[in-house]
Amino acid sequence: MKRVFGTQAIAAAVTIVTGAAAALAIFGVFGAHGALPKTGPLNVRAGLENPPGAVVRGDGLFTGRGVRRQLGAAVSGAMIGPLSPVAVRSSDGRRVAYNTWQQLRTVDNDQSFSQQAIADGTALGTPSLRVHDDTGKDFLLARGAYSAAWRHDGAIAFVKGNDPDFRAGRSYTGQAVVRSDIHGRDAAWTSEPAHYVVYAWAGDRLLFYRVGLGEKLELLVADGPGRIRPLAEGSAIAISPDATRVAVLSQDGTSVRVLDIATGSELAWLDVTTATPSVAWLAYSGSWVGDHIVAPASSGLAVFHVGSSALELEQVLSLDHSQFPVGVQQPRFVDAAGNEIAAAADIPPAKSSGGVSFLLLCDRIARTCERGEPAPAREWLRLVDDTALAEGGH
Amino acid sequence: MKVRAAIAAAVLAVTLAIPANALAYRTWFEFARQSNIASTLTMVWQYGAGYNGTQTWRAGSGVSTDACWIGHGWLPTGYYDLWGHWDNFSGKIAGRVFYLQNKPCWNGTWRTELFVHSEETAGQGQYCPTAGDDPYCWEGVYDYQSNGCIKVSRAGYPSDLRLVHDGWHGKSADYRHGYFTINNWLYVRDG
Repeated sequence: MKRVFGTQAIAAAVTIVTGAAAALAIFGVFGAHGALPKTGPLNVRAGLENPPGAVVRGDGLFTGRGVRRQLGAAVSGAMIGPLSPVAVRSSDGRRVAYNTWQQLRTVDNDQSFSQQAIADGTALGTPSLRVHDDTGKDFLLARGAYSAAWRHDGAIAFVKGNDPDFRAGRSYTGQAVVRSDIHGRDAAWTSEPAHYVVYAWAGDRLLFYRVGLGEKLELLVADGPGRIRPLAEGSAIAISPDATRVAVLSQDGTSVRVLDIATGSELAWLDVTTATPSVAWLAYSGSWVGDHIVAPASSGLAVFHVGSSALELEQVLSLDHSQFPVGVQQPRFVDAAGNEIAAAADIPPAKSSGGVSFLLLCDRIARTCERGEPAPAREWLRLVDDTALAEGGH
Repeated sequence: MKVRAAIAAAVLAVTLAIPANALAYRTWFEFARQSNIASTLTMVWQYGAGYNGTQTWRAGSGVSTDACWIGHGWLPTGYYDLWGHWDNFSGKIAGRVFYLQNKPCWNGTWRTELFVHSEETAGQGQYCPTAGDDPYCWEGVYDYQSNGCIKVSRAGYPSDLRLVHDGWHGKSADYRHGYFTINNWLYVRDG
């Protein structure tokens, strides 16, 4: 029988097949996305039908499967804005704590208090925290309270106002308290009344803000009741998955530091205005998965790579300013690889329309986003924060 | 001649009888939002029906243009009452400060602890101990950024802060300090 292929031809074929297999393997590692993440614009299109997780909007809790559950009151972040999640899921996944606002007096945003005959001390509203569980029970956790964070053992931290009502002409001061069980008693972890906002647990340590004059933010850590330490002037971007580190943002939003929460020592620092790529500013309340952090940025989103002692701005994803004039808030990685990011995008009111909110789900490798349906901004369309489910319990 | 003298005496008497604050004009401020570090603060004083005088300064507010971002976005639009004024305020912000009422933004988030101020010490001086951004030192244009407050420059002589401060007292003839209320002291609009 005559040999059809010679030895050299066989070797060449083996080489080609091996090369092709290697290429396929590399393609598989980086996925269908193609390659490493690159800085550039995000292409946003409508069509997000199923958000990556539970969502709150108005008085509804929407599960990832599109089921609507009736809440006992409408969600509202009136007292927290994006400093803290509007709704947070407990570490066992069975309960959602959410912020509400009972308006006691109609307030016209465009008018001053005097134009509306709102006298000093007038009660304008009452913030409250409620809990909704997976059996459908919905109950008041605390009246005159806001900003909740679940600990891994089921304890819940929040701020409780000295006076439950928010009043004209008065600062809303309170204490950061921890309730070991939702039906238990509150233990104050702070001693000085102040304008606090609970951010998150980092293991057994509680991170929270003191909002000062001029809305200057100070990040504090409580190692236990009464054991309060200042951690940083500024705000928190995210806590590491192992709950040992926190990425903090300077007051002016131009530099990031990674701090060891136990000691407060600085592990890494980066000025984002001089980094490559660069951004004008960052904002607080992002997400940390593996060795990646995502934060809101002047242009849209900034993704960092975190090393043991270094911080690198890996990717800047820009949004069309005409579509999203104020960018996004509370971006969150929704996959373990840190490639998919969900965020809320608010559009301020225009002359003919009120403000609206969207959910975005973005693929940072492909640099594409799907946008959900708009909702009135006052309905607080937001993803339920489920980071308490993650390892580390923050 | 006697008539003229009488008229002159009467005018003089009336002039002398006018209290010191007779030149107190209704005075307020307008902040036109243009950018976080280059917006416009205008002092307006009304010296007659339909006659307004104005003086304008560069001013800044926030880091972002999202008024619903606590500690980060610029001031929400609308009218604000003044809740107090101090010359030697001592705190995270210091010196000459004007304290504004709380204000909800368009999604209902309350913005609080808002001021018109600059970067100076409680003694109205400059404290610049580092090469970086010191909180009581006006280093430059990025000091117009704030967590939400309106900021004017403390650079030069007289500084814009001094002109705002002295202008307020001079035009309004209101020399009160501490907590007090002046209705509709500030109007914030898009510029």
